[in-house]
Amino acid sequence: MPLPEREVLQVQGLKKWFPIRRGLLSSILKGEQKYVKAVDGIDFEVYAGETVCLVGESGCGKTTTARTVLRLIEPTAGSIKYHGQEITLLSKDEMRKIRTKIQIIFQNPFDVLDPRMSVRSLVGEPLEVNNLAFSEKEIEERVFDALKEVKLTPPEDFARRYTHELSGGQLQRVAIARSLILRPDFMVADEPVSMLDASIRTEIINLMIELQHRHGLTYLYITHDIAQARYIGNRIIVMYLGKIVEKGPIEDVIQEPLHPYTKALISNIPVPDPTVKRKRILLPGETPTPVDLPKGCRFNPRCTDASEACKQDEPKLVEARKGHWVACHKL
Amino acid sequence: MKILEVENLSTYYRLGTETVYAVDDVSFTINAKQTFGLAGESGCGKTTVAKSIMRILPENGYIAKGKIWLDGQDIVSMNENDAKKFRWFKVSMVFQYAMSAFNPVLRVGDQIAEVLQEKKRLTKEAAYEEVKRLFEEVGLEPSRIRDYPHEFSGGMQQRAIIAQALACNPKLIIADEPVTALDVIIQGKILDLLKKLKEKHDLAILLITHDLSVIAEESDFVGIMYAGNLVEVGDVISVFKKTLHPYTAKLIGAFPSIVGRKKRLEFIPGAPPDLISPPKGCKFHERCPYAKPICGEKSPVLREFGKGHKAACHFAGELDLGI
Repeated sequence: MPLPEREVLQVQGLKKWFPIRRGLLSSILKGEQKYVKAVDGIDFEVYAGETVCLVGESGCGKTTTARTVLRLIEPTAGSIKYHGQEITLLSKDEMRKIRTKIQIIFQNPFDVLDPRMSVRSLVGEPLEVNNLAFSEKEIEERVFDALKEVKLTPPEDFARRYTHELSGGQLQRVAIARSLILRPDFMVADEPVSMLDASIRTEIINLMIELQHRHGLTYLYITHDIAQARYIGNRIIVMYLGKIVEKGPIEDVIQEPLHPYTKALISNIPVPDPTVKRKRILLPGETPTPVDLPKGCRFNPRCTDASEACKQDEPKLVEARKGHWVACHKL
Repeated sequence: MKILEVENLSTYYRLGTETVYAVDDVSFTINAKQTFGLAGESGCGKTTVAKSIMRILPENGYIAKGKIWLDGQDIVSMNENDAKKFRWFKVSMVFQYAMSAFNPVLRVGDQIAEVLQEKKRLTKEAAYEEVKRLFEEVGLEPSRIRDYPHEFSGGMQQRAIIAQALACNPKLIIADEPVTALDVIIQGKILDLLKKLKEKHDLAILLITHDLSVIAEESDFVGIMYAGNLVEVGDVISVFKKTLHPYTAKLIGAFPSIVGRKKRLEFIPGAPPDLISPPKGCKFHERCPYAKPICGEKSPVLREFGKGHKAACHFAGELDLGI
């Protein structure tokens, strides 16, 4: 595969702060509005044809990032460019047109797919609401094609079924077919296989890789499972408390993590081979909530190597090695 | 020392006029200071095995055949009164969702103290002293016994559940997906805690999980279940490195790893069979790439190949599973 160069997505200074609802008394007396700083100033790019994995623990801001870049929730600040076009300023109608090219796959297909609709209606619906097909026959043909793409064959048979007649893996395929039918070039997948058993998980991931090669798709893949990220991804972004702590080519980051948080994270990933013995780095404490953030480096209260500088200044992302960026004073 | 011995256990569920053959002819043993990992996909019967050992099967579930010996006592023939006594004192269980194991409107400390007062007949003061000791043992601040469950993080709740499981010094702890809902760094801490407690108290641990990576790191012995059968059992190195059953090999092949060469992952086409009318012969034969006519006719029995390493496959030991 030639080196990807063209940027499909370019994110700069992206922030999403959620205001905390206050009681009457506190708004009269204190007057200070607090925020959950779910995403607090991040920069990254996704190039055509590649898979960028966004990883981190619960609450690190990965899902908020995914939804914000699609403007499913509005960013607080920052720039999001899709093929060079700034999309944060677009009107609802203009955004709707772009959304046919950017699709999202969610974790739980049960929540996404209406149980009262047949697979035929579910997969055909995006064409109808976007006025992209004119005759019933054309819709049916494209639904069948999409079902064949996700290997739900024979499509005539699956098209007639309802969600309760399908397994979890098959439902996720229907969700993928529903995205694919609009012929997108960029897909955001938010933990698309976390609910599934190992074998079905692999089946869906392999399908996604196959579709990527066939249609030249670009993925932003959100997962908490770094072993899975290694399998599907080209580059990885590690988030901690709303910030990017490390990003780079996936193999470099996994084999030689530079940030102390990434090091701990990687050391705790279990390996399906009992002959491999690794030492877990045990971090003190637990991840704080993104409301009252520690001063300086957000990781400093849990870092065994933190110095004065780490408690004062927030480290910036610097390119430590080619394409491998890290935000740490101790580098 | 043998703590748990499961012998030809078959547990079924009545479903209207039909029967679900959830667990069928499962045998294994666990010694003190050992972790036995029981793995398999959803619906393979691993949790039913646990519930049979705890004697907490739902109303329509029953042990149809087999014996379960726990610390020398036969559990299956025990009446409910005796079963109440052996639970907590001989065996206790750690569940996946710690959040739903505690009552949200009662203090965590009170709930554990209640077990001690009720089961061990401790006085109130003695019970609270004991809760503090248990908190310390699992790495929680003793000062937090007055907290409510929602004031604990997921990892802390799981520690509290482990503290409760330890309350009456059981011999066996059944951990059913104990870390599945947790983030990886907390997962590591909880697994280390279980390991430490196992050594300290000579515990036997039955670790149930679908995650073969956790099994590989934490278990001494492993049992792989498929459609209610134990298809392979043995020490962890033999099962992972000298795999005998095609299902085990396929399942291991479906797990990505962060070490070693990156290789294409495999999946098993099809789905596990319906356990109301399981297929004749080997239950895996319809999905098995190595199946021969005999596999659809005769059920394979568990045969021993290496020391304690057994598999239920007609062609075990003869196949090149690519391990």
